[in-house]
Amino acid sequence: MVRLLKISREELRDTLGSKMKEGYSYLTYITAVDYVDHVQVLYFIEDLENSNSETIAVDLPADDLNIHSVIGLFHAADWYERELSEMFGINIYGRDCERLLLREWDGKVAPLRKSFVWNTNYETDANGDKN
Amino acid sequence: METKINIGPVHPATHGVLRLVVTLDGDTIKRVEPYIGYLHRGVEKLVETRMFMQSPSYMEKLDYVAPMSYDELYVSTIEAAMGIEVKERAKYLRMILLELQRIASHLLWLATTANDVGQWFTIYMWAFADRDRVLKLLEEATGARMFYVNMRLGGLNRDVPEQFGENAIKLMEYLDKRLPDYESFLEGNPVFLERMRGVGILKKSDAVKYGATGPVLRGSGIDYDARSNHSYYLYKELNFYASFETKGDCLARYKVRIKEIKTSINLVMSAVNKMPKGDALGMPIKLINPEPKNKEVLVRRELPRGESLMYLVADKQRPYRLGIRSPTFVNLSLTQHLPIGARIADLFPILASLDPVMGDSDR
Amino acid sequence: MAIESAIVEYIAKMLPFAQQYQSLQLIIAAALVGLVILAIVVIFDYSFGWIERKLIARVHLRRGPTKVGLFGILQNAADVTKLLSKENIVPANANKVIMLSGIFLFAFLLMLAVQMLNMSSVFFSFSFSIAVLAVFAILSLLPILVFIVGWSTGNKFASISAQRSVILLVSFELSLLLAVAAVGFASGSFDFQGIVAAQANLPFAILMPIGFVVFFIAMLAEMERSPFDIREADSELVAGWLTDMSAPMYVVMLFVDYTRMFLGCSLIALLFLGGWNGPLLPGIVWFMIKVALLAAFIIVIRASTPRMRLDQALRFGWSVLLPLAIINLFWAYLLVNGII
Repeated sequence: MVRLLKISREELRDTLGSKMKEGYSYLTYITAVDYVDHVQVLYFIEDLENSNSETIAVDLPADDLNIHSVIGLFHAADWYERELSEMFGINIYGRDCERLLLREWDGKVAPLRKSFVWNTNYETDANGDKN
Repeated sequence: METKINIGPVHPATHGVLRLVVTLDGDTIKRVEPYIGYLHRGVEKLVETRMFMQSPSYMEKLDYVAPMSYDELYVSTIEAAMGIEVKERAKYLRMILLELQRIASHLLWLATTANDVGQWFTIYMWAFADRDRVLKLLEEATGARMFYVNMRLGGLNRDVPEQFGENAIKLMEYLDKRLPDYESFLEGNPVFLERMRGVGILKKSDAVKYGATGPVLRGSGIDYDARSNHSYYLYKELNFYASFETKGDCLARYKVRIKEIKTSINLVMSAVNKMPKGDALGMPIKLINPEPKNKEVLVRRELPRGESLMYLVADKQRPYRLGIRSPTFVNLSLTQHLPIGARIADLFPILASLDPVMGDSDR
Repeated sequence: MAIESAIVEYIAKMLPFAQQYQSLQLIIAAALVGLVILAIVVIFDYSFGWIERKLIARVHLRRGPTKVGLFGILQNAADVTKLLSKENIVPANANKVIMLSGIFLFAFLLMLAVQMLNMSSVFFSFSFSIAVLAVFAILSLLPILVFIVGWSTGNKFASISAQRSVILLVSFELSLLLAVAAVGFASGSFDFQGIVAAQANLPFAILMPIGFVVFFIAMLAEMERSPFDIREADSELVAGWLTDMSAPMYVVMLFVDYTRMFLGCSLIALLFLGGWNGPLLPGIVWFMIKVALLAAFIIVIRASTPRMRLDQALRFGWSVLLPLAIINLFWAYLLVNGII
């Protein structure tokens, strides 16, 4: 249902830059999905005047989670990128990130990765199955 | 001489557990460093361990000032994933409930804003009393005052009682008469105007650059509202137009929200009048066939605090990943930029004009 | 005849042997009157607290305290008792001696100023030719004490608030004193008796409307009531210079604040509203009615207006209030010379 524009990470900034020239000047959201073998980073951009939106997806191999920051293009990416690096353990270079934004407890784990298992020992789902 | 003061996480004016470390030069703000995350509950991870329809009550706790809107957004996302059509009457009812929720949320914002500019609790009490009337109506419709969990796939948990339409019209007429009281009380006071005008100016280009959303974006002169730009439900049929202001200061954001209350009042009235009879009930939670048709779904909604967006990657029974774009999160990042050069006393009107809810921001 | 000399006479009648100790009699008489004035102040402070809660509640469309005592009149007593029963904690980085002595000096100075007020033509503890000036001299000492107390608590909010308080008080003082000067000019006296006597026909509020407005607004700032409650600013500075004050000290400061309000209302009543002048009722009753009405008015202002920002308040004080005060001085000159 969502049309993803899949690009490689080297093309990311060029693509976003050219999209910006087309009028997609508003960055709505950055998030990521962990597909275990790779992590997909998604950029949702928006043309406010014509209400067009575009979703750009970048696949990162699980053993090489590095991506360049887009903060130079979209300042709104600031906190999203910080959240991304904290929650997914993605290293975002090309920017300075002085402290953790959402997490102050630990710098090691990446809670939104599938490798991080939510402790559900004492909880059961609707079918009564132990998770 | 530079002073550093620490505001929050427990402070009378931070609307929750927000911590700001402010560097002052005399009375002027040099630097603001927001610390968020005190209310981080890992909802995005939590829903991955739950079946689809077990999660709406988690979603409601994200934005505890306007719970219904997140509830609806989440259920709509699941509907989109499963390819379920919403019943016609349910569409109207959802719109009515959402707009009522928006009025309640904006009234709470009005209350705290008046308090933050130093108006000693008068508007606060008035607005809370009126918000309570709205909540009573929502209780009548859904059975709960705060956390409704009223949305079901394809419709609602329960239809509204018979006299609901009448009561809703009555309440909307009352609020329509009541709003001018608030406006004349605040805007008729030169001190209030002085405190709000020209404070925390967000230029049009900056609003786009920093990704401001909702009333903050519209206060800077951008006519963007998910309700009209990405029309959903029947907002087009009800002739919905987004309200915006051009000045970009606190007063503009205040006016946008006041206008939005009026728009919502009109929307509720016309939706109640046009609402068809029939069935509005959705599927019971246990009977759903958890077999998503679309694997990846993107749904956007205009919440009271701004545009929210849910990106769902659906697994068989549960979300594989649910990304939640929270409007407060982006608006709060503006606290780094907006108050620079303002007085320390301006910090709180500026913060109030962003209308932060920390549960929404931290997720 | 002042009440003191009546007391002296009474003592002389009841205790004939004390006649030789004239000064002792005077001291006893002054102490008695002083105590009565103190009692009046305490009663007024208490009822201000009650009126404030009730009146603001009415503006808020609620009821205010209703349960404790008739119409909740004992609610404040209950609250004060609760606060007084708490532990007095002084923060580690506060300068305890300066903080505590500052607070009590503050309270003491205010009580001294209150003692100088004349509540009717016979009821006062002292009346002398420069009483008005003495009261304002004491009032102008307060900013220093505010600063010392705020700074000595060692809290940043408190010291910011104290600085604000000083700046505000100092910049409104000039307009305030110019308005007082005009009153002194028009009445030819700096004694409360003389000033009130000069208003026997028409109060100065009618003769010098500009002066009245200037004095009222400057007095609001001097009392630091809304919209000039910049130092309290509960939305930004938590509780201003009282942030680190624990409960018993806070009670003292509440008492001091209400006393300040009583003093301010009394000064407005005495200097501009004809003091104890009024038909039928005895003078002291008129005085109290005026003070109570002024207090109620100030409370309603608090319930209706937002707080001014410091720079806005200062700009208002220097560029609006001060010129008006100077115009008023000329007005008083014209008034005295019978040109108007």
